[in-house]
Amino acid sequence: MYRETGIVNTPPLSTQDDAALLALVQRGDEYAMASLFDRYSKVVYSVAMRVLRDPAAAEDVLQEVFMQIWRSPDGFIATRGSLGGWLAVVSRNRSIDTLRRKRPTECVDDIALASNYNLANEAEREMMVERARGVIQLLPMEQRKTLEMAFFDGLTHSEIAEMTGDPLGTVKTRIRSGLSTLRKAFTA
Amino acid sequence: MNTTGHIERDDLVLFAMQLLSKEDAAIVSTHVESCPECLHELAEVQGDLAVYAHTVEMQAPPASARERLLKQVAHEKKVIPIETAAEPALPVRGFGGRSSLTEDDLPPRGFAGRIFPWLGWALAAGMTVTAGSFYMQRAALQGSVAEQKDQIAQLTTDAATAREVMATITDPSALRVTLTKAQTAPVPQARATYVADKGVLIFQANNMPALEPAKVYELWLIPANGSSPIPAGTFQPDQRGYASIMMPPLPKGVQAKAFGVTIENEGGSQTPTLPIIMVGA
Repeated sequence: MYRETGIVNTPPLSTQDDAALLALVQRGDEYAMASLFDRYSKVVYSVAMRVLRDPAAAEDVLQEVFMQIWRSPDGFIATRGSLGGWLAVVSRNRSIDTLRRKRPTECVDDIALASNYNLANEAEREMMVERARGVIQLLPMEQRKTLEMAFFDGLTHSEIAEMTGDPLGTVKTRIRSGLSTLRKAFTA
Repeated sequence: MNTTGHIERDDLVLFAMQLLSKEDAAIVSTHVESCPECLHELAEVQGDLAVYAHTVEMQAPPASARERLLKQVAHEKKVIPIETAAEPALPVRGFGGRSSLTEDDLPPRGFAGRIFPWLGWALAAGMTVTAGSFYMQRAALQGSVAEQKDQIAQLTTDAATAREVMATITDPSALRVTLTKAQTAPVPQARATYVADKGVLIFQANNMPALEPAKVYELWLIPANGSSPIPAGTFQPDQRGYASIMMPPLPKGVQAKAFGVTIENEGGSQTPTLPIIMVGA
């Protein structure tokens, strides 16, 4: 099931590569924009598809996210830590917005990533993704499902609690615990 | 939500996933803006979510999605500031693999689509070249004007000096003294200064005896080539015997063998009347 990592035939990347491409995009370089699309379109589209389960809607999110890069590349430069990781989160948030038919929420997207994983490095990212998939698979079923419902389905903890019959506190703890387990797997 | 002065991590996770209510999200957002500790924790949660997002099963977007994006990108071309474009600090290509794109990777563009983006730059380049040319011409003209100003100033100074010299020489009130051996009777003397190439002659005479009425002294230039003497002007000495001729009209380039003075009728003559009373070579 989890075989691919979302990186399309790209050579090893570095943070500088992303920053250089974004700088070129800032100067109106369409080729650089195409390069960024080739690098990250798969993960952006895949996340959108997982949330929306609708190819047309997922493609709209894909377009929206990359046009946001084209229109405001300076908002993506340097402080994001990892463009690929940040785009994955943005894709999820935009998809949730679409799901809820609401306007994009900017405040959360503006928070830079601070990660113990170097998502900008291709080789390290592939290893990280495989390892993360392994960690998620080993999570208790309730924890894994709760995390999926929150992140990919965009259900609030109240909605999850209502659907699962679990107390609100338990839902929140499961979500937080799932992410904590993921983090510990990489910091241990 | 806030039990220790900070946002609980459970709520930061929900906030990062946009799962809090609007009111709670506003509270968290306000707090995080002023709390570095919670901001750091939120950034860590975002990093965790980025990793978690990558665990999704990957699916390639349809090929048309790329074409659609690049068409939209081409449609929303950017206006780049000149100073930014003038200093390309980053490589345009060369990231390898799919990054080394060719024109074929981009959606086809029409003639206008290819040309118009460069018109602005071409115009800017043309204006830059023209402005540079104007600047060079202006600098050259300024240099030329400055040089001519210096020349004019020098000429003005020279002319003032020359006028002063001439005024002093020709001033009838000037005191003119010829020094000779003591107890020697003053004798008529004259000095001719001549530049043949320019045809310029200055003649000064001292102690010249007064002439009869209707008579004048006449100066002659005797050419070196043996041709006839050339009249160089007439003069009457003042009461103290002084006389001068300044730059009479003479042909240029006539080498002088000697100068002579004769006495002629008033108005002068075209040929010297002997005897020649003064001569010098």
